Amino acid sequence: MKFLQKLPEQALRILVVFVILATGMLLVRQFVIPADMKDMTLIQTATMEREADKEAKYAGAAVCVQCHEKQQEIKRGGYHRDLSCESCHDAAQKHADSPTEVKPVSPRKRDYCVYCHSYNASRPTGFPQINPDTHNPRKPCITCHNPHNPKPTQPPRSCAACHAQIERTKAASYHAQLACTVCHTTPEKHKTEPRTVTPTKPDKREFCGKCHSEGKGAKGVPTVDMATHGEKYVCWQCHYPHMLGGI
Amino acid sequence: MEAVQHFTELAKQVVGFIYPNEIEIHWSILIVVYPYITGLVAGAFILASLVKVFNVKELQPTYRLALLTALAFLLIAPLPLQLHLGRPERSFEMFLTPQLSSAMAMFGFVYLWYLMVVLLLEIWFEYRRDMIVWSGEATGVKKWALKILSLFSTDVSEKAVAFDKKTVKIITVIGIPSAFLLHGYVGFIFGSIKANPWWSSVMMPVVFLFSAIVSGIAIVMLLYMIVVPLRGGKIDMQCLDKMASFLFYAVIVDFSIEVLDFIHRLYESEESIKILSALVETKLFMSLVILQILLGMLLPLGVMVVIRVFKLQEEVRKLLYFVCGLLIQLGIFSTRWNVVIGGQLFSKSFRGLTTYKMELMGIEGLLVAVALLIIPFVILAVLLNLLPPWKKEELARTT
Repeated sequence: MKFLQKLPEQALRILVVFVILATGMLLVRQFVIPADMKDMTLIQTATMEREADKEAKYAGAAVCVQCHEKQQEIKRGGYHRDLSCESCHDAAQKHADSPTEVKPVSPRKRDYCVYCHSYNASRPTGFPQINPDTHNPRKPCITCHNPHNPKPTQPPRSCAACHAQIERTKAASYHAQLACTVCHTTPEKHKTEPRTVTPTKPDKREFCGKCHSEGKGAKGVPTVDMATHGEKYVCWQCHYPHMLGGI
Repeated sequence: MEAVQHFTELAKQVVGFIYPNEIEIHWSILIVVYPYITGLVAGAFILASLVKVFNVKELQPTYRLALLTALAFLLIAPLPLQLHLGRPERSFEMFLTPQLSSAMAMFGFVYLWYLMVVLLLEIWFEYRRDMIVWSGEATGVKKWALKILSLFSTDVSEKAVAFDKKTVKIITVIGIPSAFLLHGYVGFIFGSIKANPWWSSVMMPVVFLFSAIVSGIAIVMLLYMIVVPLRGGKIDMQCLDKMASFLFYAVIVDFSIEVLDFIHRLYESEESIKILSALVETKLFMSLVILQILLGMLLPLGVMVVIRVFKLQEEVRKLLYFVCGLLIQLGIFSTRWNVVIGGQLFSKSFRGLTTYKMELMGIEGLLVAVALLIIPFVILAVLLNLLPPWKKEELARTT
């Protein structure tokens, strides 16, 4: 109390204002705010319940399979096996609840497929991409490709169909004149089952030595003494053969 | 299906590959305005503290103006956030049910501390004696407004005024770290978002702080040059030169820190560097290279060097200072723009960029942002009217 008496008049006034504000806030917190709003556990549980209570719009692939076993069987072996049914057919919980009354959509026009399959430089090479303006214009994609198990209608004619980036790099390198198959033995089946049947890579130094060891190279082809150069390493561990200059 | 169509339309504004949730920008121009305004508050306060704590006598004429400017902008500072989030009436709840682990929620307390304990208290003690005197001279509403503002205090004895002065000094000392906290906090919010390489940097709070000091000094300088002649006084050139010299050094420090951050990023060359370079070279070229660096920093620095080297005439100096002030405001606003908008323009896959299309009329639009930038000046006009920063004889003395 003595401390308060010592304070100048104006400090006391401002102190009173602050005390009123602080007490007001504490009182509101104590008596006006409901207890469950101050309990973080309760708030979190309530949020979870609220989210769980939201109407489900997606049924999930497991539910689709119960009736559409045949489609699932086709899809399982194809490239679209990791796509959920509802990625193309839209949210289908309502269809699952009343299958005859509500029908899910089926995209049959070109514009839906090109969302993933139109050419985009940042998509990985090997991912099937087309130019929608030149690739069979105006023909719906599903006339030629089964969306549940899409395949190219004919095996690719050149390696560049899938390995375009390597093809472009190679075209500017010293190896431009060499066909891919000179270095990579490629089984015919690789064209239809690219992931299970893969081509080979040169695994011996002597393979490159056929052109690049001393005394064997044609005019202008760089050669090295295979006995001393690079020791135990395979050539492509240091020299990238598709790159300009091959360094 | 509808969502996909909407998507396909949006995809046109994208270059390269981008995740679907990154196409549309969510932190709009309102979030650009927010750090710009808080920066002005912190900067103006730092300028005021130069007078009280560091005893820079030349700046005395700007002391009260700087405090009132800080207050006018601070009152509006939370508004862009509240408009962006919606339901502004609920914002009070963050004081009543505090969430200690959220940096964003704790801003409420940083703001409250700065407003109540630093700025209002300092202004109250600074003006208390004058408010009592003016309430005696005024009539009608103004008389009562001043009486209520002074909390019906009546003591104008020397002892009481000495107490006021001492308190003001203590509050200013507390105020400096508080001002650093206020704006450092805004930088912290961005700097601590580790998923975003454009933002995630420990330098962020420091960069924010120094750019705040730059913009704060510049705005007070501009206001000083506008308000004093409007009130019939003459600009104190000694004060203006001193302010410009502080501004000059602040810009140099700010520029150095930003360049350091830039070089550090380039040298570190993390995997994000390519997309960030593409961002700077394309989408942010105008706002970062032209507006922020060339027009907002290098040009004013060059002009201020010319002023110092050639000892120009008073009128020319005034004109050039004014232009510098405006350019710096433009530059600092671009800095905020580049941080807030720039950080959302690139994909976290580092493989693509999107575009920000600003609304004009909507709540997140340009007009609201312009209004938010005008309101503080209206508030400042009211404050200047109610609590004049200069006494009549002070204005007359410099004439």
